Amino acid sequence: MGEPTAEAKSGDGASAKASIVTLKSIDKSFHRGKEPIRVLEKLDLDVPTGSFEALMGPSGSGKSTLLNIIAGLDRPTSGTVLVAGSDLTKMSDGELAKWRSQTIGFVFQSFNLIPVLTAAQNVELPLLLTSLSGAQRKKHVETALRIVGLEDRMEHYPRQLSGGQEQRVAIARAIVNDPKIIVADEPTGDLDRKSADDVLTLMEKLNKELGKTIFMVTHDPAAAERASVQRKLDKGALL
Amino acid sequence: MNSTTYARRNLFRRRGRTILTLITIAVAGLIFNTIRTVDYAWKVGVNEAAKDRLATRHKVSITMQLPKRYIDDIRDPAKVPGIKAATWANWFGAKDPRGRAQFFAGIAVDHQTWFDVMDEMKVEPAALEEWKRTNNGAILGDLLAKTLEVKVGDDLTITSDIYPGDWKLKVVGIYTPLRKTADRNSLLFRWDFLNNDPRATYSKEKIGWVMSRIDDPSKSAEISRALDKLFDERDDQTVTMSERTFQLSFLGGFSAILSAFDLVSVVILLIMLLVLANTVAMSVRERLHEYGVLRAIGFSPGAIFGFILGESMLLAAVGGLLGIVLTLLLVNGVVGPAIEENMGGFFPYFRAPTAALVMAFIGTLVVGAASGLVPAIGASRRKVTDSLRRVD
Repeated sequence: MGEPTAEAKSGDGASAKASIVTLKSIDKSFHRGKEPIRVLEKLDLDVPTGSFEALMGPSGSGKSTLLNIIAGLDRPTSGTVLVAGSDLTKMSDGELAKWRSQTIGFVFQSFNLIPVLTAAQNVELPLLLTSLSGAQRKKHVETALRIVGLEDRMEHYPRQLSGGQEQRVAIARAIVNDPKIIVADEPTGDLDRKSADDVLTLMEKLNKELGKTIFMVTHDPAAAERASVQRKLDKGALL
Repeated sequence: MNSTTYARRNLFRRRGRTILTLITIAVAGLIFNTIRTVDYAWKVGVNEAAKDRLATRHKVSITMQLPKRYIDDIRDPAKVPGIKAATWANWFGAKDPRGRAQFFAGIAVDHQTWFDVMDEMKVEPAALEEWKRTNNGAILGDLLAKTLEVKVGDDLTITSDIYPGDWKLKVVGIYTPLRKTADRNSLLFRWDFLNNDPRATYSKEKIGWVMSRIDDPSKSAEISRALDKLFDERDDQTVTMSERTFQLSFLGGFSAILSAFDLVSVVILLIMLLVLANTVAMSVRERLHEYGVLRAIGFSPGAIFGFILGESMLLAAVGGLLGIVLTLLLVNGVVGPAIEENMGGFFPYFRAPTAALVMAFIGTLVVGAASGLVPAIGASRRKVTDSLRRVD
């Protein structure tokens, strides 16, 4: 359980590194009325630092639940969650919020940019939770947007951007606070093939050039192919 | 950008809805402010009453008259110490037969002493001298003179519902107010002119009320009791009170109306609350997913609470300020001057008081906070995963 089903790509070297995510014996149940539904069962997982992993599986297999637990958005019913050296099961909601702001970068399927804010302001949002000055925040925002190739779209609102550009802004928002891990939930699900390729290339670049650990949930085999490790989840268990 | 940018930008996210909400709050604020202005204008006589003046009237009712000889007892320091001066008046109730003013305060007063006691009105000494020489002389407030289109030296005919026939007066002076709240729409003529007219046998040697000026305002209760005791054994007993209490007793007849004003004010605030609460609740419901995203990237539940409450209060504050601007433009700029000119007998000063505007603005902010409270608590306590799952 929990072992990668694909070999690490040449030159990646992730398997030799220490784990940044360690899940031990994770159970997660929901209640529908009085009936409990087990989503994850005795799941163990190790994600090495600096890896780019894709998690696939059919709908309802527990992919998003697993992603949410790793990202500190949800808590397991039982088990231990160690991410970037922190035991998430022992943190309060407030501590988890602070931890997420410092450790996790999120990329969502539907981009989830704030429509009333410009691209630069959307990217700046996570930095409002830091003690950086306005000038320092601006510099970080410019850097993040330059990395995703949108430094000329800073003052554009989301409605003025294409889907691919919106997702790249979302990626800039995810990396602006220099997180240890980027979690991506179907990041190419709402994009055409060309835009999806651009986004995946960008994620590869973040992984290889900036050393970011990326954990991506996807339905798209072509997207999963771009990751260095592919895992499959079915009925709450890793295959 | 700072944390308030998000709340500010959200304000006009649904432009049509926000504008309609702002108009509703502004109009509700205007109505609230107008009602408070009427309430204030009605009570202005009480609030601005001279502290060193006493009013004495018949114990049964202000409509019953007292013997004129009572004034000699009141003025006698041996009987009631502490009274500096006293004067008297009779209600005449005037109308202009030419229809320039439907109804105004016509009062028959003692021309020798009236302005010594009622010193909030300024009259030229020459006018007072002329009044002494002119049996049918009248002195008018400046606004009333303007309405009746008369000046010093003109003849003026008035009528009354109490005394029959035409009463021909001569304008000998115009008084101007020394206080902004003084009545500028009264007509004062000589009590002896009324008293000597055979059409006024009903009030022969009678007076409506006495106004006294006292040495020490702190002794007004004591002097009032002494005055009333003086007439306890007479046919007509009196009741004496400070001018403020006198005004309040007059307002007592309108207490139901004033209570209704208070009730309507509260109802308006409640309507404002419901409109605002509905707008905020709709906005929050539409943005639950977005709040989930903000929580995911690290914003705390408290920050979400602050965003929603801040937006609600900002909406209320903008609407409240618009309401105040409308009040200043319409009430103070248009309606107030018109009322002072045409209904000055009832409302000598009809302007929205600053205290009422400040109170209205604070009330609007409280309504804003109350409107946002429930949606803010709900959204901030919601599980992040539930918010992210929601698709509208």
